[in-house]
Amino acid sequence: MPSFFSNKRLIFLLVCIIILVALIGYSMSDRRSLTWPEQFVTDSVGWVQSAFSRPAHFVAGFFENVNDMRNLYDENRILKSHLDEYAALQVELNDLRRQNEELKDSLDVSDNLYDYTVRSALVIHRSPDRWNEFVGINKGSQDGIEVNMAVMTSKGLIGKIHQVSPFSSTIQLLSDQARNNRISAFVDADTKINGFIEGIDSETGYLHFTMIDIRAELEEGQLVVTSGLGGVFPDGLPIGEIVSFETDEFGLSQSAYVKPTADFYNIDYVMVIESSAPTLAPEINPEFGEEE
Amino acid sequence: MMRRYLLFIVLFILFIAEGTIYQVFAPDFRGSDYLFIPRWVFMIIIFAGIYRGRAIGTLHAVIFGVLYDIIFSSVLGIYTFAMGLIAYLFSIAHPFFQRNLVVSISMSIIAVMILEYFVYGFMLLLGYTTVLHEEFLYIRFIPTVIMNLVVIAVLAYPLRKWFYYVNQRAEEQDKFHS
Repeated sequence: MPSFFSNKRLIFLLVCIIILVALIGYSMSDRRSLTWPEQFVTDSVGWVQSAFSRPAHFVAGFFENVNDMRNLYDENRILKSHLDEYAALQVELNDLRRQNEELKDSLDVSDNLYDYTVRSALVIHRSPDRWNEFVGINKGSQDGIEVNMAVMTSKGLIGKIHQVSPFSSTIQLLSDQARNNRISAFVDADTKINGFIEGIDSETGYLHFTMIDIRAELEEGQLVVTSGLGGVFPDGLPIGEIVSFETDEFGLSQSAYVKPTADFYNIDYVMVIESSAPTLAPEINPEFGEEE
Repeated sequence: MMRRYLLFIVLFILFIAEGTIYQVFAPDFRGSDYLFIPRWVFMIIIFAGIYRGRAIGTLHAVIFGVLYDIIFSSVLGIYTFAMGLIAYLFSIAHPFFQRNLVVSISMSIIAVMILEYFVYGFMLLLGYTTVLHEEFLYIRFIPTVIMNLVVIAVLAYPLRKWFYYVNQRAEEQDKFHS
């Protein structure tokens, strides 16, 4: 069909391709913050989206509640058996906390990495094509949210803030496959074993935990938590537990599979964690703004 | 006035629904091994292109491509370009396509197939995914096409009626003015 690509149209198509390549190059550059048209679009669409997702979450929650009611009895029995342990733990915790404070007072330590502020937000959208694992929430820079803050549900860490506009922001989940999606973590054992959480295995749904010291002694069932290195993430947010480990392909380090404690699928409310630990001022900190 | 923007409003509501309501009830979050990606907006745009002309189809494709890119995509430009180009190529307002509902349904499904492969190719090229072709084909491509085929097959008849009605109204108005 000759009318499809006349000369003028061919040139127009070529110009479009050039614009496409330029846009891709622009959006792939690291550490890009949203431009104002993007912010305007995400915010105004986000407002509509929250109007839609609230009732949807409500309906989904209702069905889950009905489901829960069926195994209420079993759950209740298990919980009752845990209750006795809980009382004992509570006593121990109080004791330890008091001891800890006394020791800190004697050492003049005032801040620690465990201090953090929590903001809760509603999930308003999720990208329908599963090429990325981005989730939108209804709070933005006006509510004090900044790029790279940790995001968790009640069960554990799910990701970090990827992009921020004034009234909404986007979370990059731990399961996102992009190469820059990397979080510093350690194994909660007698000695700290450091490594990085890097993407997810699409078949098993386990997270990759890589760059672990070759001499470290891993065990199945050990808990993996955030390390708090880098200053953006607070210390000790639970990520998951180790299910298997192996020496990696070059024999220089170990890698493990971590079963996430949080559910990446049915997320309705999330908590955005701001670490209030003292960090170096941005002017003198050489690592400011780096991933980890 | 409202009537003129009705197509845009319908598409926008569907666009929002794809990202919010559908995601809450998405089958792959409820235990399904297969991915069913909704491409409803895009299919209706192709339909609009066939029944209401190339200009309307391409314009809506570009608008919703931009929205998709900004809100959901990690790379700008891919959906804008793909949706715009495919909608342009597939908007053939020929009576043969309009009379045969089966033909226009298959046109929109072929458009969805091309879009899926285009985006997969780009994601692979840019390193955003490491999914192998076989996995892509069986886990994602075939279920997506089947799901969208069912949806468009249900929507096709009312859509065509609506578009014919709109075209008729437009013609009447033209006569009235001239």
